[in-house]
Amino acid sequence: MMNEFNVLLAGVGGQGVILMSELLGKAAIADGLRVRGSEILGMAVRGGSVTSVIRIGEDVHGPLVPQGKCNILMGLEPSEALRHASYLAESGLVILNTAPIIPFTVSLGQSEYPGLDRVMEKLGAVAGRVIKLDAAKSAIEAGSPLATNVVMLGALFGVELLPVKTSTIKQIIEARFSPKLAPINLRAFDLGYEAAGRH
Amino acid sequence: MKEPTISSDAPGHRFFALGNEAIARGAIEAGVQVAAAYPGTPSSEIVGTLADVARELDMYVEWSTNEKVAFEVALGASICGVRAMSAMKHVGVNVAHDPLMTASHIGAIGGFVVVVADDPWAWSSQNEQDSRYIALQGYIPVLEPSSVQEAKDMIADAFRLSEEFGQLFMLRSVTRISHGRGDIVLGEISRERRKGSFKKDADRLAYVPRVARLNKPLMLERFRRIEEAADGLPYNRLEVKDGAGLGIIACGLSYSYTLEAVQWLGLENGVSILKIGTPHPLPRKLIMELLRSVPEVLVVEELDPFVELHVKAMVGEHGIPTRVHGKDVVPGIGELSTRKVAEALGAVTESKLPVDFAGLDRLEQEATSLLPSRPPALCPGCSHRASFRAISLAAQRAAREYGEGVEPIYPGDIGCYTLALTPPQNAVDTCVCMGGSFGLANGMAHVVEAPIIAHLGDSTFFHSGIPPLINAVYNKANITMVVLDNSATAMTGFQPHPGTGHTATGDEAVSLKAEDIARACGVGFVEVVDPRDLKAAADIIEKAIRFTGPAVVVSRAPCATIELREKRQAGEKVIPYYIDQDRCDAKCSACIKLLGCPAIIKQDEKKVIDAPLCTGCGLCPQVCPHKAIVQEQSR
Repeated sequence: MMNEFNVLLAGVGGQGVILMSELLGKAAIADGLRVRGSEILGMAVRGGSVTSVIRIGEDVHGPLVPQGKCNILMGLEPSEALRHASYLAESGLVILNTAPIIPFTVSLGQSEYPGLDRVMEKLGAVAGRVIKLDAAKSAIEAGSPLATNVVMLGALFGVELLPVKTSTIKQIIEARFSPKLAPINLRAFDLGYEAAGRH
Repeated sequence: MKEPTISSDAPGHRFFALGNEAIARGAIEAGVQVAAAYPGTPSSEIVGTLADVARELDMYVEWSTNEKVAFEVALGASICGVRAMSAMKHVGVNVAHDPLMTASHIGAIGGFVVVVADDPWAWSSQNEQDSRYIALQGYIPVLEPSSVQEAKDMIADAFRLSEEFGQLFMLRSVTRISHGRGDIVLGEISRERRKGSFKKDADRLAYVPRVARLNKPLMLERFRRIEEAADGLPYNRLEVKDGAGLGIIACGLSYSYTLEAVQWLGLENGVSILKIGTPHPLPRKLIMELLRSVPEVLVVEELDPFVELHVKAMVGEHGIPTRVHGKDVVPGIGELSTRKVAEALGAVTESKLPVDFAGLDRLEQEATSLLPSRPPALCPGCSHRASFRAISLAAQRAAREYGEGVEPIYPGDIGCYTLALTPPQNAVDTCVCMGGSFGLANGMAHVVEAPIIAHLGDSTFFHSGIPPLINAVYNKANITMVVLDNSATAMTGFQPHPGTGHTATGDEAVSLKAEDIARACGVGFVEVVDPRDLKAAADIIEKAIRFTGPAVVVSRAPCATIELREKRQAGEKVIPYYIDQDRCDAKCSACIKLLGCPAIIKQDEKKVIDAPLCTGCGLCPQVCPHKAIVQEQSR
């Protein structure tokens, strides 16, 4: 068994994908783990697709998740999750925020957005398991729609597969945000954690 | 908990770093005193990080007007005996190429390192280009890291090597190092600060033909000494497995993909691996040792066959029967990955692949065919969207006089506004290099009969827009040059420039105006417009197009992202617009078709404004023929 755990985070510019991976990476390091990852910045920031990778473990060397080796695919947006489905390992898990973000190409009539059923069907056929949650709704419940990414981070820990301690990530979240925003984000984390735990 | 920061003197602490932060940290540990750059993805965060801590650590850090100047700043400092660096993207090296070649003749007095970030797959670039060939041409030694940690270690060491050998060194990064992340162990920070002093030495520093002839042999001798030392550097490592049927030579980041691929295929006991950290000059003894121990060798490297060609030459020169694979099985286009290296290894060793990659490719194709394209777009409220609408209105009107079917030509440039390439703007007909819009327009003007409206951003104007502007005046090119001035180098992360009124380290500076420069250069028509007043802007741009001779329009409005950030900080409210459905004509869609703003979306057949995205810029009401778009407060 190789000591390697791969998380791929897929979303849209502005959703806070990069911040999620920063928090996760810092927590893994605080727990004494080896971490590698990468992201695409630049052009992708302007509302385009954004992906970030966090890889944990002693057998990890490269900055990219090899296709077919992703343990958990975090889909912050349904179509972006499906875009990266080919990276999933055979028994890979998808944690999906079900709220779609429709790109402007659809409004311009240049492309079409598939129905959520279609996306789910396709993802279900590839993934070992799909956990769905309305992270945007939970974020509002926690106190800020901007905390959607932290709800998803909570869900990632809620499935209890990561080699990183939940108490560590909570400390990292607390340290990252201002005293005003930290409680909102911790609440968002807990809501995501519980939602994933219920599955 | 108190975490260490990038400037903490906390040796032994582990730190989660972006590759570019790790490179900056390495330079800090080496005691770099001068750093200069022009921003360019994926290199921007290197000098950006240094600028943030420059005061605290007593360094001089600047954003220079372009890469050539940035390189010259570092060269000047090195000549005066202090440690200096410049960082740039691969195409930035092209801009700095001229001084780079002669700097190599001078060598280094204070440690001198140029960091070059290549961009395989051209994620954020006009091409993909292998900078090692530029180093080859200039006898510049290259260090190429395999990980974020090694990037830090290498640059710290590069300053020492540069002084030991008296030569300029290059660190070759790639996107997945610069924008990779990993845990790094912090080292000690050197607090040594030298006082710069210039010693006159024209025989080394003033390049007339005699001095070039004098110094070339010295440069070659320095390079020869570095070549002798290459085998002993810790960045080159040979791990020989007895009885191995294959040797792998893996350069830079390819080494980490190689380690994973070998393990994935279960080939650990059947291959010898030579890790290369100095592709130029190569560790020749180690390569010979590997070549003599295996019947076949696979060279793994990103982009061009650089190491491969050298290895093939060595095989030929020494009559070694070892077969050399490289770009016959490893792609030469785009980034490598564990999968690509596994496939190359599979092909050479005839091993079974661990995953049905063809099946994954089919899955990816199926998924992609279902999915909408999500390209990057100009932000909601972006002033360039307004500028392009005004340009389009003006150009279409002016083009009519050129005859039936004549279309305006839009030479474009490099920055956020390159995003106007796609519909609905369709306003980038060419995009070649920084400043190329004005340059190409000069050539077109003498051979076509059509309105030529070239455009570039404010930072690009200072970078390389001024010489072609002067050229247009001098050589009477009848073109319209639009400076899309949003007072930022927005695409690369909002770095300041000579027009913004402050420096990299936050000091106040003069704020140069493109219109003043254009007037000083003798342009006969110079006007400034605010594109958010669409009609007035279009009228003036139309006058500029009709003007005989070169004309300049500065289209000035702040970057929406910066403006929004400032409003939030000041607690100012953003008042979004909404679409009055009673007045909106379901069949019209002018707002969407003319502007392509991400905040205006179609819900079934209804057009609505996504309020959280709307910045209240006020552009869309100006294009709505039904006056259906109104601001929230006037409801």
